[in-house]
Amino acid sequence: MLSDVISKDKTQAFLFCNEAIVRGALESDVKVVAFYPGSPVSEILDTFYQISNDFDIKMEIATNEKVALEIVAGASMGGQRSLIAMKSVGLNVASDTFFSLGYTGVNKGCVLVFADDPFCHSSQSEEDGRFFASNSYIPMLEPTDPVEAKRMTKAAFDISEKFQTIVLVRTTTRINHQSTVVPLEPLNRTEFRKASFREFNRKYATVGLKARAFKLKMLERRERIREDFEESEFNTIIEGTANIGVIVSGVSYNYVREVSNKLEINPPILKLGTTYPLPKNLISSFIKDLEGVIVVEELSPYLEIQLKAIAKDSNPNLKVYGKESGHFSEAFEYNIPIVFNVFKEIYKIETPIDYDAIVSRADELKSILPVRIPVFCPGCPHRATFWALQKAVTGKSNQIALINDIGCYSMLLLNSEIYPKLHGDDLMLSMGATLGSGSGISLAANEKVISVIGDSTFFHAGLPGMINICHHNENVIVIVLDNSVTAMTGQQTNPGTGYSPPNNPKNKIQIEDVLKGIGFKNIIINDCFDAKNCIPSFKKALEEPGPTVIISRGPCALWNDRRKRTRGEKIQPFYVDQDVCRKCHTCMKDFYCPAISMDSQEKQYTDENGKLWQGFSSYISPELCDGCGVCSILCPYTNHENRSEKDVIKFHEKQREVRHDL
Amino acid sequence: MTYNLMTCGVGGQGLMLVSNVIGIACAEFGLNIRTAETHGLAQRSGSIYTHIRVGEGVYSPLIPYGEADALLGMEAIETLRYIEFLKPKGVIIMNNYRWQPVQSTDERVKNPENSYLTIDTIVAQLTKVSSNIHIVDASEIATRAGNPLTSNLVLLGALAKTEGFPIKLSQLQEIVPKVVPKKAIDANLKALLMGYET
Repeated sequence: MLSDVISKDKTQAFLFCNEAIVRGALESDVKVVAFYPGSPVSEILDTFYQISNDFDIKMEIATNEKVALEIVAGASMGGQRSLIAMKSVGLNVASDTFFSLGYTGVNKGCVLVFADDPFCHSSQSEEDGRFFASNSYIPMLEPTDPVEAKRMTKAAFDISEKFQTIVLVRTTTRINHQSTVVPLEPLNRTEFRKASFREFNRKYATVGLKARAFKLKMLERRERIREDFEESEFNTIIEGTANIGVIVSGVSYNYVREVSNKLEINPPILKLGTTYPLPKNLISSFIKDLEGVIVVEELSPYLEIQLKAIAKDSNPNLKVYGKESGHFSEAFEYNIPIVFNVFKEIYKIETPIDYDAIVSRADELKSILPVRIPVFCPGCPHRATFWALQKAVTGKSNQIALINDIGCYSMLLLNSEIYPKLHGDDLMLSMGATLGSGSGISLAANEKVISVIGDSTFFHAGLPGMINICHHNENVIVIVLDNSVTAMTGQQTNPGTGYSPPNNPKNKIQIEDVLKGIGFKNIIINDCFDAKNCIPSFKKALEEPGPTVIISRGPCALWNDRRKRTRGEKIQPFYVDQDVCRKCHTCMKDFYCPAISMDSQEKQYTDENGKLWQGFSSYISPELCDGCGVCSILCPYTNHENRSEKDVIKFHEKQREVRHDL
Repeated sequence: MTYNLMTCGVGGQGLMLVSNVIGIACAEFGLNIRTAETHGLAQRSGSIYTHIRVGEGVYSPLIPYGEADALLGMEAIETLRYIEFLKPKGVIIMNNYRWQPVQSTDERVKNPENSYLTIDTIVAQLTKVSSNIHIVDASEIATRAGNPLTSNLVLLGALAKTEGFPIKLSQLQEIVPKVVPKKAIDANLKALLMGYET
């Protein structure tokens, strides 16, 4: 809970890992933080956002991760402790600057928390960011749980200052999205005072001969850090009696401990918390007398390969069980059953527990279940935009290529089966890639290219692609889905929102002004909730050669609900008057709002002309409807411009409060 | 002793409040707890869950298959989706509520005669793992408690009465006011109690 993150008197609290990291940074007297949101670390940003007023901290939600990294690095060089958090693919974006920082180093404590996402819960790839550390010579710590995540965040500031380098704290989704009871230490905050950059008399410019000098110093720095890490409190050995030991890091440590207890085995365990540079001597002495070692780590065999190199000198006969031996997979997350099955085999334990049987039995029981895929929320502006786009492409669906991008609209890809005309799963690569890859398709193929991009992604990585489209006069339709916030990650502000933490007005960057400045001639602005009236502009764009940009504007439903709550407003849901519903299902087809379902009782209605309508009516859930009213526009038997008793879709008599936990 | 609780529902139902109340109660009353939650993408009307593990000897945030003492479902379809976690004869607290996925509605638009999955069909499947099923009309009780948004507390109340649940009702009643907004305290406490008394 937020009040616990900033508590001055509590000695422990039930904290979400991302909150624990913030608490660790606050205890370390952090002064400057910058972010671009991304799951699974968005809540680090959100927590700072909520407290930045109380704590005299400079905070920026930057346009992208690279800019954010440059902000915290600059702040450190300028004399303030700073912290940044980003998701794995965010570090790809920031990597250009990141590698230079390995060379130049920093000044005051500078910590970079980055989170890999095994299983691709919310990412486009399952990459192993640990190789960033070894490739950049930047030290890395890896916690096993929220308690250690907080301790490591604090230690990272000290390591950063001692060795004058940025320090990585590497987590995974399953670490970030964990909660437990976390010990709290005092919040000894000092007053924010600007420093003098000139007085520090340090240089951070790297190229050519300067870079060569930095490289040699960086190699020497790595060995000094390694020496420290040999003694680090974050590497622990749990003594055991088995002659096959375990080397483990990250969340897998928890599975190893519990599986050892379950199987009643007692292996020596080396838990590694400093995973770059590795404490080679510690590892050597751990494996010296062992017959074998099981390496338990998610994703790539990062520890395993390095262990083999170390063992070559200190114990050449050591048998290593891991990914290269085929025991563990390089794909997806681990859990107790996965580790259990490997340990059971290696330690040759007979056990009645059969996890595979439980899962196959459950799969049988669940075979009747429908899929439930994340979809656009009730009231989402994207559903309205895509409904209109489907109408516009009807009849020529095979002559378009739809290029998707990263944001809530990515869900079009996951739900392409219910919106087949749009081919939402044609192509999606990375932030802003809709523009370049759309240009490429338009050069190579006959299909009319429709590139969709959200407002935040437009600012994040869209500008170079947009300028390229305008410069080369590409035959591409760009639809900018402008919902005013960075919606997918939790509705954070962006340059188009007009304000930023701590709720201060900022210069609002208007997307149409940017487009005009670039030189686009064909710019159309649609109110996406006026869905029917958006169809002609899409149709026209499909006929015209050259670039057209359509800004499809409408606020994010969740963000707008929260604004309503702040203003003391309620949600006005709609309902279907089942007595007059014609059972045509127009409000559902191609729209598929989660608030609308089909009634289970068959009904009849005879209209004024004596025509009989029979079938299953639509039903709008008053608890789920957000009141956007688009379904009432789609309904052929509702006059949304002049509402009356005759309408099928009407205002519900009762208004509804906005959830407090939204 | 370890108590494992699997909770699930649909993104937007207020599932997180349940684990927060339990977690804060554990911190307050000296119990070890670890939870694993769903955040991000899945919250958009998707299938969501929280693993809650209380007691000594807990390291993993995830419950192993077949070891949950209880399964609390805020939505019926999702209750069945996590059945592999429940131990044989474990407690099932299930909200008598279905939120149809849009994929099912798409199926019905194409074939209106096909029906949605019913509660009875779901219960028949659940029974094959455990017949210890408590179906709670949480929305109806929550509405009577004064706020239809407190279904989650109704279900927590019903769970608190089942065997093995490690936190007393009085302890939950002490924590709830610290977690919910001031003006909603009464309705939430009432929902908790009414759930307990069903």
